[in-house]
This record gives sequence, structure tokens and C-alpha cells, in this order.
Amino acid sequence: MIQKIRVAICTGTACYVRGGAELLDLESRLPAELTGLIELEGASCLELCRDRAKGQPPFALVGEKVIAAATIETLIDAIAAACGACGGADSQEARR
Amino acid sequence: MKGSFIEIGHYNEAKCGERAEGDVFLSRRSAEDGRVIAVLSDGLGSGVKANVLATLTATMAAGCAASDAPIERTAGVIMRSLPVCSERRISYATFSLVDVAASGKLAIVEYDNPPYVLIREGSLVEPIKTEIAVKRHRRQGGLGSKAILRASRFEARPGDRLVLFSDGVTQAGMGSRQSPLGWGSPAVEDFILRTIRAEPGLSARELARAVVREALVRDLGKARDDITCGVVYFRDARRLLVLTGPPLYPERDAEMARIFREYPGRRLVAGGTTASIIARETGAKVKVELGRFDPEIPPASTMAGADLVTEGIITLGRAAELLASRDRLDSLPCNAATRAIELMLDSDVIDFVVGTKINEAHQDPSMPVELEIRRNVVKRLAAVLAERHLKDVRIRYV
Repeated sequence: MIQKIRVAICTGTACYVRGGAELLDLESRLPAELTGLIELEGASCLELCRDRAKGQPPFALVGEKVIAAATIETLIDAIAAACGACGGADSQEARR
Repeated sequence: MKGSFIEIGHYNEAKCGERAEGDVFLSRRSAEDGRVIAVLSDGLGSGVKANVLATLTATMAAGCAASDAPIERTAGVIMRSLPVCSERRISYATFSLVDVAASGKLAIVEYDNPPYVLIREGSLVEPIKTEIAVKRHRRQGGLGSKAILRASRFEARPGDRLVLFSDGVTQAGMGSRQSPLGWGSPAVEDFILRTIRAEPGLSARELARAVVREALVRDLGKARDDITCGVVYFRDARRLLVLTGPPLYPERDAEMARIFREYPGRRLVAGGTTASIIARETGAKVKVELGRFDPEIPPASTMAGADLVTEGIITLGRAAELLASRDRLDSLPCNAATRAIELMLDSDVIDFVVGTKINEAHQDPSMPVELEIRRNVVKRLAAVLAERHLKDVRIRYV
């Protein structure tokens, strides 16, 4: 059983207007090696926009890691990195 | 009538090929005494010309009724003011005027529209009507003839429904083998009764729509005349709570959650932070629905106790925009804003509870200007709900 990586996309006002809407499309834009490895969910508001030190919206969480000014590309990078940290996509494939 | 709410709904289909509706239905509710005036007018002919005649007639009838002018004088004013059709050399528009006091006292005057239908406790009631003759002027093509108005007065009871319709309804399907003379008043009445029996809680809006749609089917999908139905429904008030925005002071979060828990009606939570506060205070979980994806409106969520959870400013702003810009709101794409509209239109009393804390991230100059301050969005939304859709709207700030 693979431990999927939780990816939460903030759908709050600030994030949505700054490109968060597009991030909800993440699953269909994942590269083949990452497909099926994430658990995508929306968050009504992660409340990260309140704190400027956290960066600019849109925000997302990959695992516990906060991604500011998130784009599909930065999310994919973060997911790939998280996969690497937990054994990597390739080794997970091998375990199957 | 205590506890009862006067719901007004209408639906209209313009004659096929015409852009402007030749029938006009308008309604007003007085903010001071709760009196409601509704008028259905059918202008001579169709299209823009008919629309002008009907709009003038409906507006004058409503205006005169609101200023308590006697009905004979109102009818006289209308008949003398309408422009004369250049082809037919007459000026003419029918009208049915309904005047309801908050106490439930009703006065209805009809001129040349199909007779209205009164449904009480699931049955048809035949009201007593008196005839009033109003002299027509020569230039109206009347040649000294008299126009006959029919007036009826009675006390409405809770649950009563008053259905008004134009001749586009009764004449629907005319010339067809099935109904050579059109749908006809008795059959229309029968349809209304059956529709209500099938769904006793049907709103005014839905009933009006059902009648017009059925008429349109009988016209094989192409309205041969303007088809309009208006319904006045004396129903138990349906209440909706719209909770939006975090309170300025976090100490008030518990108060907001208490309002949410104890509210005697349906509940809409509009705002991500607001939803988080309610979820935290009530121990519920917010789950964003990712199935439908709209690039402009953030997705809705589900939460125990709430009928709908949406994002705040964008969603409410879009709801206000749609409610103000369109008369027909039944073929909109399904998103959080249109679902919120559906809840609002299906309610009579709408209580807004608005937190006034401002999210500074929204004030960033790089953000779209549409991101207004919550209070302004709510004010706009409340105004259109009250003025255009005759809802009883209350706003409370926390």
C-alpha cells in the first residue's frame, strides 16, 4: 500500500483569484511517474494569506510543506521532492 | 397574517422571434408597511410596441394603486395615456392588478386578461367579482363603448395561491388537433391544481415556471404569443441564514457559531475563514467538492449543519451581479454562486450575519478591483434581493 502524498489547494478568495483555480486541475497535469501518488483536496481557506511572511497567494500544501505563489510546475516539483524523500516514485513503483 | 410571507414569482416567454416581451409582470413591496402590488399587463400585438404599452400600463397601474387612487380613475388614466397603435388605430393593453395589504386583505382588478385562479387548501375557489364600467374615449377606438373591469376583494388565508396569466397561456396550442381552441382556462386550472397536489410546497416562482413551460410545450416549443404567468403565494416564511466573514474580534466567533446552530431555517456559509470558524466551533469538518470545476467561481464545500458552504466575496459578488442583471435565472451553469442564488430565491426571509474583519491580502493593489470590501458586496446583494426579488432581508454585523 502506497502512502499517498496529500496535496491541499487553497480555494479561498485571495488564492483563487491569483491562480488557485488552475491548480485544481493538478491531477490531470501530473507527469506519468507521479500519477496516482497524490491525494488532492481543496481547502476552504488555509489562512496563509494573512501572514505576509508566508509569501504570496495562491497557497498549497504538499504534505506539510507550504508552497507559496504555487503553480502547477512548482507543485509538481514539490511532489517529486516529497516522493524522493519518502523513497521516491521509482522505488515505490518497484515495491508494487 | 402573522408568520405568513407573500411570495411573488413570475415567468415569461416572449413570442417566438421577438426580442422584447409583449407581456409585463411587475411587483413591488413597500418597505414601510409590507404592502405588495403586482400587475400583469399584456400589450396589444407583440415585440417592442407591445412591451411599451404593457410597461406603461403596469407601471401606471402599480403607481396609482400605491397612491390609493380609486380604480375607475386608475383605469381612466391608463386608457387616456397609452399611445395609439398606428396600424390598428387603438391603444390597448390588458391588466390584472393585485393589491395586498400586509394583513392579507386583497383587492384585485382585472381588465381583459384571462380570469385569475385562486387556490385554497388544494381546491379552486370562485371569488365574487363586481363589474365596473369605464368609458373609453373615441381615440382609443372605443367609439364611446365601455371597458368592463372586474373587481374582487377578499381576505387571503395562509397557504392561498393566486395565479395570474396572459392569454398566451390559455390560447397555447390553438389550432392543434389536440386542442383546437387552445389550452383553455378550465384545463389550465386543472393543470395548476394537479401541479400543486403533486408538490404542495411548490414556490410561486416554480409554479409560474411550470405553467409557462406547459404552455410552451403545447405551442410545440415556439411561443405563438407572449406567455406569462405570475403567482402570489401566502406561505409560511422560509428562512435562510447567510453567514459571511470572520467577526472583527475573535471573541465573537462563539456567538457566530451559536447563531448558526440555533437558526430556524436553512444555512449558507459564504467564506473560507468563516467556514473554518464554524467548523472549529461546532466540531464539524469542511470538505471542498472537487468534482465540478469553474475557473471563475471557487468550488462549494460541504459541512454538517450547513446547506451550502462557498467562498465569500467572489461568490456573493457574482450572485449579486446575476440577480441584478437577469430576469430568468433557470438556465445558469451550476456553480457555487448559482447554487447560492437558488437557495436565496427559494427563501422569503434572508438573514445576513456579516463579520467585518477585513482580509488585508484582499487589499493588495495587485488584486482584482472586483474584490470589494465584504460590507459593500453584502449591501449590494441585500438591495437586489429586497428590491428586485421582494425578499425580506435583514443584515446584522458582528
